[in-house]
Amino acid sequence: MKRTREEVDATLQIAKLNAAELLPAVHCLGFGPGASGAGGGDFCLLELEPALCQQLEAGHSLVIRGDKDEQAVLCSQDKTYDLKIADTSNMLLFIPGCKTPDQLKMEETRCDIIHTEIFGFSNNYWELRRCRPKLKKLKKLLMENTYEGPDNQKEKDSNHSKYTTEDLLDQIQASEEEIMAQLQVLNACEIGGYWRILEFDYEMKLLNHVTQLVDSESWSFSRVPLSTCLQELGPLEPEEMIEHCLKCYGKKYVEEGEVYFELNADKICRATAQMLLQNAVKFNLAEFQEVWQQSVPEGMITRLDQLKGLALVDRHSRPEIIFLLKVDDLPEDNQDRFNSLFSLREKWTEEDIAPYIQDLCGEKQTIGALLTKYSRSSMQNGVKVYNSRRPIS
Amino acid sequence: MVQIVISSAGAGGLAEWVLMELQGEIEARYSTGLAGNLLGDLHYTTEGIPVLIVGHHILYGKIIHLEKPFAVLVKHTPGEQDCDELGCETGTRYLVTALIKNKILFKTRPKPIITNVPKKV
Repeated sequence: MKRTREEVDATLQIAKLNAAELLPAVHCLGFGPGASGAGGGDFCLLELEPALCQQLEAGHSLVIRGDKDEQAVLCSQDKTYDLKIADTSNMLLFIPGCKTPDQLKMEETRCDIIHTEIFGFSNNYWELRRCRPKLKKLKKLLMENTYEGPDNQKEKDSNHSKYTTEDLLDQIQASEEEIMAQLQVLNACEIGGYWRILEFDYEMKLLNHVTQLVDSESWSFSRVPLSTCLQELGPLEPEEMIEHCLKCYGKKYVEEGEVYFELNADKICRATAQMLLQNAVKFNLAEFQEVWQQSVPEGMITRLDQLKGLALVDRHSRPEIIFLLKVDDLPEDNQDRFNSLFSLREKWTEEDIAPYIQDLCGEKQTIGALLTKYSRSSMQNGVKVYNSRRPIS
Repeated sequence: MVQIVISSAGAGGLAEWVLMELQGEIEARYSTGLAGNLLGDLHYTTEGIPVLIVGHHILYGKIIHLEKPFAVLVKHTPGEQDCDELGCETGTRYLVTALIKNKILFKTRPKPIITNVPKKV
């Protein structure tokens, strides 16, 4: 039985409310026949930041990703969020067709009674907090079967694990755009529909072909013609791999209809350093710098700051040494990362540690904030250094 | 790993609902539960203040425009009718049914309505 306007007015009278002070429309609220609590799991409330709301309004989907033993994340096309359930001691009722006073005032036809059915109720909702995508697993998966060239025995054997973009979306707790960006950082290549990381020696072999050709042709590093590279190096390696190498170590541009690449000296010097450093536990710094400079293409200048996040210099040892320390080999979790860094070295300057914690910085977190949270600072010989907050075994 | 899709029909297919936030719990007067029962009358003063009459209580609240809107997600467990050209769906999905951009918050103590002895008809 629906309430009538007369019944509503009678209630107003009993409640001693003056109808003249109220808007003419009343919402008679009732629970719909199927109204239930969200505890049943059939529906729930998801809190959105405005950008996400716009995406839903545009018809885009969101995806929740996670393994049974992982913390669930929610991904949009380009961002990842931690998903948590927030409880409230209040009761939240979801009401379709309920108008706000502003909406009522804007209406042309005034009505005096609106029968409104409550859809359901809840005392919790899903809360999102932007987080770093969990990308460490991506490298781990692709390293299971690195690409060493088309003639390698591995390519003829179909048993080895290979991943398409869809496979990766099925395994990695990150948005598609974040995964694509990371694939580029890893110099990954899509071969036959599968994403592959090149085995480092193979990648260096390709790079050496290119730099030797640049040298023998006396090209400028900023004007390497694609077509000539493919022509000269095609007999040695697949054309797609030569072009992939140029894309990883240079920037493509078109001039008068011809494709050229501007080689990135920093990336090439950095890769050369990695090649030298990975063969020894540590190097005499002075010796290394000499060999390194001699090993890079003539005309490129090596600088230690090219090695941030790749190698670490120890200026306290005699002689000074340098060794390989790759940030992507370190743990993904903040506390674990700091623990491993402090196990390696007790005290760090900000300059030395920054490249190894830069990737931990979230949207609003700075290096300074991370250092404050996870370390303790002190002065050593007039320089500020950071050490662990707790004893590291 | 599991992937659960939350799909949206886009602005054309999304209704806008309102959230009402009440302190405490609502209990049905009778043991048949809340479904199908009336809750109360929601009025607004000319100044836009929500006034809710529930049972013997009056509550005064306020309209809050949500900085972080909500989406109402309705769970959809696939049955046979969900097979399309690509085959049957294997996973749970959620459909965004409505967006909530405003809430009516009642957080002050309800005022009791003292009824007079009913007038003789």
